[in-house]
Amino acid sequence: MSAKTRERIGDLFSYLFMLATFVFFAWPLLWLLSLALRTRKEVFLGVSRFIPKAPTLENFAMILSSDKFAGYLWNALKLSCLSALGCLIVALPAAYAFSRFRFRGKGAWMMALLSVQMISPLVIMVPLYRYMASIGLTDSHFGATMVYIALAVPMVTWILKGTIDGIPAALDEAAMIDGCNRLGVFLRVVLPLSTPGIASAFIISVIGGWSQFLVPFLLITKESLTPIGVGIFQYAGTQNDSSIQLLAAACLVSVVPAIVAFLALQRLILGALTAGAVKG
Amino acid sequence: MPPAIASSAVPRAAALPNRRQRPRVAPWLMPLILVLGLFYLYPVLDVFRLALTRATLLGGDEGYTVSTLTQTLARPELPGILGVTALFTLASVFSQQLLGLAIALVVVRGEKRRLFGTTIVRTTALIAWVVPGIAGGIIWKMLFNEAPFGGLNSILRLMGAAPVQWLSDPDLVMWSVVISNVWRGTAFSMVVMYAALKAIDPVLYEAAAVDGASAPQRLMHVTLPQLRSAILVNMILITIQTLNTFDAIISLTGGGPGRSTEVLSLYTFNVVFRNYDLAGGAVLSILMLVISLGLALVYAAFLPKGEDR
Repeated sequence: MSAKTRERIGDLFSYLFMLATFVFFAWPLLWLLSLALRTRKEVFLGVSRFIPKAPTLENFAMILSSDKFAGYLWNALKLSCLSALGCLIVALPAAYAFSRFRFRGKGAWMMALLSVQMISPLVIMVPLYRYMASIGLTDSHFGATMVYIALAVPMVTWILKGTIDGIPAALDEAAMIDGCNRLGVFLRVVLPLSTPGIASAFIISVIGGWSQFLVPFLLITKESLTPIGVGIFQYAGTQNDSSIQLLAAACLVSVVPAIVAFLALQRLILGALTAGAVKG
Repeated sequence: MPPAIASSAVPRAAALPNRRQRPRVAPWLMPLILVLGLFYLYPVLDVFRLALTRATLLGGDEGYTVSTLTQTLARPELPGILGVTALFTLASVFSQQLLGLAIALVVVRGEKRRLFGTTIVRTTALIAWVVPGIAGGIIWKMLFNEAPFGGLNSILRLMGAAPVQWLSDPDLVMWSVVISNVWRGTAFSMVVMYAALKAIDPVLYEAAAVDGASAPQRLMHVTLPQLRSAILVNMILITIQTLNTFDAIISLTGGGPGRSTEVLSLYTFNVVFRNYDLAGGAVLSILMLVISLGLALVYAAFLPKGEDR
């Protein structure tokens, strides 16, 4: 067998494998879309109506027009964006210090930060409810935001440190010769140059915040403050088989924003994540 | 750093006044320390305190005792829960690692051979990864459903095969949960493996080709040894992620039927939020912490020595 035929056979197997992989990963979401576009009658016709005969947007209209769901989506958007912003405010100065300053115990600090990431959020949730209740931060978006920040900030700090490491320190020094102080260097030189890293860290924490379930489930009991992660869970609990097309539509509505946000910045996010993972 | 900048920077830096050489670190770290301290570290410490009380979510006895510790660890259902957790974690981690590596290898090969569709495959896997856990559970519940709209059984029926009781057969349900977890989690391993494969020095492959190594030999003797630290780091990360997974399970099976898919994290959640047993939950949280720490140390022992990362 010549090398060329062998390569051809390899290509064939590669294609087969890629096809199988694609079907495995795409099928659940395609099925969800198919169900969400069906009428109640067609839902029970199974896979034979994978492409519905009478596709309808009725289900989406029903979900999106209900005040409840609009509220869930808005709350999730608010919580995830505010917490991502807060995360940057907290993580950026620290990342700058970790990248540029030499101080005692720096390595230990960085490792401590990483090990915080290893603690399951579930561990802190146990005492957190009573703690937050005692300082009056239950049923408030502020309280939930602070916890979101604490959960995401170690990883974001690592990512941002990686970004700032990539900016030559000589630029800092040049700016300081020109009369900038450290804060000036940070604000005028380092921040503008780390925009790609900041953007991906922001989106990563927005996506993380969007999928939060535990924190809001625990800290927020008022329906009007509930974000989508908890909202969809409670909605699923009230639905039965005869309204599965509505549940599918609701589920799709809760998933699509995260997917869109990810796809928009896919390249940046992957770069930032792998840099962190390979280093960490 | 480009040499030109470096050489011009050295004399300048030497001319800087001393106070600029030793900047104050504390103000830069303060926000991070405050947020983590108030909303992370304090609760973690409180877990250790609560584990020694009989506290419940509704208040309860705050006196210190070791009986909670011993009673919780002696619960009759705990060995079963740990068994379920071990099976779920082991199966998920190995499948994710293997599948992630396989996809990364094929994608890298496909890119080299300019095959069609590598980007599509990669992106599809990543989309599944972004799906929130609760939604992922709901989606798979629709697929595994035994009603006509179940996305897997209706295919089986179309092909004339007998339907499968994905979620109600206690022997099968764990594998269904693992499949759904692999669906959502594999992309992470794929990305890490892809980055690690790209970082292998091509000279190694050239040398192997000169020595006449076949494709399987190249995989065994070049690729895998080069990937060793990446694989171990990845295994640490996904093991911890898997141990912490419970939102995808709670919305898929709720831990059932019976207790057949109730992993430790879900059990802890139930103990605290269904039975309001705060002290018992604290003990279980510590158990979880100890397990993840122990596993991380075991993996770390396999990391090549002397190599920092």
